[in-house]
Amino acid sequence: MTLDGGWYLTLAAVLFTIGAVGLLVRRNVLVMFMCVELMLNAVNLTFVTFARMLDDIGGQALVFFVLVVAAAEVVVGLGIIVSIFRRRGGTTADDLHLLKG
Amino acid sequence: MHAVLAAAQTLKAPDLDYFALAPEIVLTAVLVGILLLDVFVDETRKYLVTQVAGLGLLVSLVPVVALAANGADRSMLGGAYVVDNFALLVKALFLATGYVVLLMSSDYIGEGDYYEGEYSFLLLSSLLGMMVMGSSRDLITIFVALELLSIPAYLLAGWRKRDLRSNEACLKYYLLGVLASAVMLYGMSLIFGATGSTVLRTIGREVGGSVGEEPIVTLGIFFIVVGFAFKVSAVPFHFWAPDTYEGAPTPVTAFLSVASKAAGFVALLQLVYIGFFGREEVWGPLFWVLAALTMTVGNLVALRQTNVVRMLAYSSVAQAGYILVPFAVAGSNPAANATAQTAALVYLLIYAAMNLGAFAIVMAVARKTRSAEISSYGGLFTYAPGLTLLMSVFLFSLAGIPPLAGWFAKLYIFESALDAGTAAAVTLAVVAGLNAVIALFYYSAVAKEMWMRPVPDGDTTPIPVPPALAAALAFTAIVVVAVGVYPQAFARLGDLAQLTLR
Amino acid sequence: MSAFLRGYLSVLVFGFAAVAMVGAMLGAGRLLRPSRPQPQKYIAYESGVDPVGTGWSQSQVRYYIFALLFVMFDVEAVFIFPWAIRLEALGIFGLVEMLIFIVILALGLVYAWRKGVLRWV
Repeated sequence: MTLDGGWYLTLAAVLFTIGAVGLLVRRNVLVMFMCVELMLNAVNLTFVTFARMLDDIGGQALVFFVLVVAAAEVVVGLGIIVSIFRRRGGTTADDLHLLKG
Repeated sequence: MHAVLAAAQTLKAPDLDYFALAPEIVLTAVLVGILLLDVFVDETRKYLVTQVAGLGLLVSLVPVVALAANGADRSMLGGAYVVDNFALLVKALFLATGYVVLLMSSDYIGEGDYYEGEYSFLLLSSLLGMMVMGSSRDLITIFVALELLSIPAYLLAGWRKRDLRSNEACLKYYLLGVLASAVMLYGMSLIFGATGSTVLRTIGREVGGSVGEEPIVTLGIFFIVVGFAFKVSAVPFHFWAPDTYEGAPTPVTAFLSVASKAAGFVALLQLVYIGFFGREEVWGPLFWVLAALTMTVGNLVALRQTNVVRMLAYSSVAQAGYILVPFAVAGSNPAANATAQTAALVYLLIYAAMNLGAFAIVMAVARKTRSAEISSYGGLFTYAPGLTLLMSVFLFSLAGIPPLAGWFAKLYIFESALDAGTAAAVTLAVVAGLNAVIALFYYSAVAKEMWMRPVPDGDTTPIPVPPALAAALAFTAIVVVAVGVYPQAFARLGDLAQLTLR
Repeated sequence: MSAFLRGYLSVLVFGFAAVAMVGAMLGAGRLLRPSRPQPQKYIAYESGVDPVGTGWSQSQVRYYIFALLFVMFDVEAVFIFPWAIRLEALGIFGLVEMLIFIVILALGLVYAWRKGVLRWV
């Protein structure tokens, strides 16, 4: 049995929502970070599904770029987190309260 | 799958127009050059890197001018990368902004305990992303350009590595930035799914047709606009901006509040006017709400600030609200579209000059007072009359007082709203008018502090302004005053740089 | 011999060559190295980390910079695979473009090297 595209799109939407909700409710910066990755991968799944449904290579090409950019973001983000961790030994978003919007 | 494989089989080397790509190629070469220079030059001669970077920016301006003189619109990669008047105008804006920021930061970065070479490198990388953004007429190109300009900006925001507030600014900017990218990408994936293309022109055709009626398109447009609303710090997606602006080094704040914001608006202009134009009933109300909220909240919160940088941060949130007005009113009739586009572009150009100028003054004053509290500006006139005069020019320009450039920018915004003529547009114009009055209060509060109050600590030694910072001030001040006196110059540029619909 | 079997002959040759290569290297190593057996030497090698422990064991923080570099350079390879498949169609143009891409990537490595990131301090 082959699943039609709709199931993949639903899965991607669910993953995206989990990532978005996680980013908003979790306080550990590393976990927030993983939630962003989950969102980006949900996007990738959507792109690949659509590329398959539409027989269009553009979507798959975009996934390549998303992958690479996500890796660059991870590297920058981990660098930032490590530099903060060195200064204060904990990475909860609640610890960051020097600047109040 | 057959079509995909067939497409892959016929894949040929693309036709590249190297003349059209020349500004980006030059900038990339400069980037490579300064990276090598930074790596192989010893610690005492790092200032060379900044100088080469500045020179490189000016050299990249040469092909931009040459392309403008040539005048032909160039399109490549199946319409994904277009060099037209719009692209050239925003590229010139980004290069000029980058140069002014480099002038502002050369002493600041050199004097502090910062990494000097990497600073220029990251600044130029971010600028390269912005240059590409000006020509991006494709979802993939827009996404790559956006990330190229954002990722170095995250690092720049955290440049004072040992300062906890800079760390915090950096992390907040980063987390919200990647969240915005993810949301925007999801929107892009939905648009791609509905229209089957990533090229904006094709998307525009599809969205204008029957495909545009599908809910998935509405959702996609919504997500993309929300993603960019984060980038341009529109209320209610603005909360990172004041914290990031306060914590980041001041020249970086100037860069983020001008160039990075302008890049967001450039992307929005392209998306809205080429890609989503057929569905104004989706984005019209969305931009209306964003514009009204952004102006009002930005101005009201700015009223209560006691720190100049935070005040300028909220003021720049509010200014973004004014730029959103033309978006909200576009699409109602053809004449209004043209005015709306020109209004947004002209506002971006003028806003860049006046905001950079204001931040340059903040930096000059902070060299002496080591403070950015509004109270520390007391009696500035008695010992730094030149700076006081210039700061007043920039503040009143931001407030929109004639005959300064900011007045003309606001006038254009109102004109675009009135040209549209609908009840919603006129209401928005009234909201903008009320906001301009509120804004006058906090801008003039700083002016009052400078001109009328006594010096808080009685120290009236003059402020030494380094030549680079003075040059940045002179350049921005000349633009603000000249455009105020002779506004036709920028209006003409804005008219020439129209994006062609469809 | 049928063409089908001849196809497998090359596989067989490769197989023998591989086994012989491993044998030759291990044998040469055994002949050349001094023999000083210690219990630590019999632990399975896992990048210098103790292979047995709890899931929450801490690893040396110095690895993180290498991990970051690895992630960065590893993922860029994703652009090289599609290029390699269409190399012939893209011709000299593709070759030059990919060289530029790799040179710019290598500059990142040069930067890391000059900044002393690659040294194990």
